[in-house]
Amino acid sequence: MRAVPAFRRSRSSKLVDRLMRGVLWGIAILFVVVLILFVGAILKQGWPVLNLSFLTKMPETLDAGGGIKPQIFNSLYLVVLSLSLSLPVGLGAGIYMAEYAGKGRALNFLRLCIETLAATPSIVLALFGMIVFVQAMGWSFSIRSGALTLALLNIPVITRVTEISLMAVPRELKEASYGLGATKLQTILKVALPYAATGILTGLVLTAGRAFGESAILVFTAGTNASAQFPDFRLTVPGETLSVHLWYVTSDGTLPDAREIAAGTAAVMILVLLTLNLLVRLVDRAIRRRTR
Amino acid sequence: MPDTSGASLIAVPSGGGFPVEAAAETRASVTGAPAFQHSRIHRMADRWAHLAFLACSLLVVGLIGGILFFLASKGLATFWPMAGSTGRALSFSEVFLSTDWAPSSDRFGILPFIAGSLGVTGLALLIAAPTGTLTGVFIAKLAPPWMRNLMRQVMDLLVGIPSVVYGIFGLTVVLPLVSRTWLAEAPASGFAVSAVILAVMIVPTIVSLSTDAFESLPASLDEGAQALGSSRWQAIWHVLIPAARPRLLTATVLGLGRAIGEAMAVQMVIGNNPQWMALMRESTDRAPFLRALFTPAATLTTELVQELPNTAAGSTWNNVLFAMGLLLYLLTMVLILATRRLGRGKEA
Repeated sequence: MRAVPAFRRSRSSKLVDRLMRGVLWGIAILFVVVLILFVGAILKQGWPVLNLSFLTKMPETLDAGGGIKPQIFNSLYLVVLSLSLSLPVGLGAGIYMAEYAGKGRALNFLRLCIETLAATPSIVLALFGMIVFVQAMGWSFSIRSGALTLALLNIPVITRVTEISLMAVPRELKEASYGLGATKLQTILKVALPYAATGILTGLVLTAGRAFGESAILVFTAGTNASAQFPDFRLTVPGETLSVHLWYVTSDGTLPDAREIAAGTAAVMILVLLTLNLLVRLVDRAIRRRTR
Repeated sequence: MPDTSGASLIAVPSGGGFPVEAAAETRASVTGAPAFQHSRIHRMADRWAHLAFLACSLLVVGLIGGILFFLASKGLATFWPMAGSTGRALSFSEVFLSTDWAPSSDRFGILPFIAGSLGVTGLALLIAAPTGTLTGVFIAKLAPPWMRNLMRQVMDLLVGIPSVVYGIFGLTVVLPLVSRTWLAEAPASGFAVSAVILAVMIVPTIVSLSTDAFESLPASLDEGAQALGSSRWQAIWHVLIPAARPRLLTATVLGLGRAIGEAMAVQMVIGNNPQWMALMRESTDRAPFLRALFTPAATLTTELVQELPNTAAGSTWNNVLFAMGLLLYLLTMVLILATRRLGRGKEA
């Protein structure tokens, strides 16, 4: 036990107090300003490029004036595919951790694994996807390689969200269900999951946002080319997404208008993410109003 | 199979651990509540569902092992001859202790990338750890409710911005801005700008975890300190921060993990120069420190993004790159185990 510090209320300590409060406010406001400048700069750069033809034209390979139509499609397609792959696994693992695993070593170890997977850098997941799906399975750079590897990124997040949302279900509700003679599965499916659904949904939207912005994984698994057909639902073709396109045109540098295309793509991505964020907020507010 | 019912005297067949023996017999339909059919089919479904959920969890455990296995199968081929590897085997010292990276002339020292990763991560933490922790205490203890809400939203947005967008912001806004000052000439890419961008990227992680840390402290700590006559800041500095230290360290370690694994944003602004150590040694600048901050450099992740697409599978070059990935993965595991240690220290 440490000795109780003696506090002196001198003039200097009051001065320090006021100073440090100012510093704390300053740092916080700095972050607000950084965000506003950031979003402002991205939108301002992208605004002149953003128009309907940019969004609905096919990209060019050598000339200026290309659009991002297939990239928008690929981004959405990959998000949907990867989510539908990771949702069952994430839900299942989350349910297991919240309802079955108990409080012992097993849960601890599981949680360690989830945390490790969540903290694994996406470039490492990309390498794994490249070895397994691109090379060993012989799928090369394709939508299916990308979707499967991207699912690895989503799984820990969905698991966490499911676990936390299920933990928040009041014990009485579950006990009442057991009291009515329900089996454990019935209790989970008909009582716990509906109660936790809104929390899980919010987490899903955030996961979708993360998958939408992911680039490192997709560069090495879905490739940097987009199919010339539109819309191309085949799983075997390369699927360049918006974020990969943004990176690729910037670092490749063969396009004369790479700057403009990158700026426009960045603005589109920011707008999509702002919309998603607003959506989460509205859902959240609706839930709070309902539960009150 | 982990079972919670071991402790309780009445074991429910489904393993729920709730004392329901009497209620299970009565038909719920008497009270008008939904009647649950408890037939053999349902019991079977119950058992199969348990197995399915267990399988999902085991899949996650398997993934952790699978990633390790496949990365090791490629990465370790650097040092020992393995099936599918055509390159020559290197010694540990010529990979980890050499600063000479020249794949075309068969020299594979990855020290510049390790040093680069550590350098840029360290600088980013130097910015993000204090500001993030202080913002955490600000949100938890000082800010009025509207400001608290605003900060939460700001952090949510900052964490949601994709790394390539951070990268393009660095490339088109920060780099030109810095190269117009006396600090550096164009293109001004290097550690400094990368670290600033990285700091903004990892600050939300540190802020949200340290806010949680401060909010979970018992209110009596804060009140006690103030009853002893401390000012607000004295209470924060002498009581709250020491009390929350293990969780604050955990927050910083997780921030470190995010920073060291970030690839695209850093790759776009750091300049990608594998020979940065040699360049720095030869430079006869009068302000070596400042010069070092603005020398184009490279890290483990940026080098992977930069070179992996150009190498043939199984070549020495390719193997070394996978060894770098393996190193990153092992580092993640060490960091997660470290947060576990820190968490345990809190309970003791």
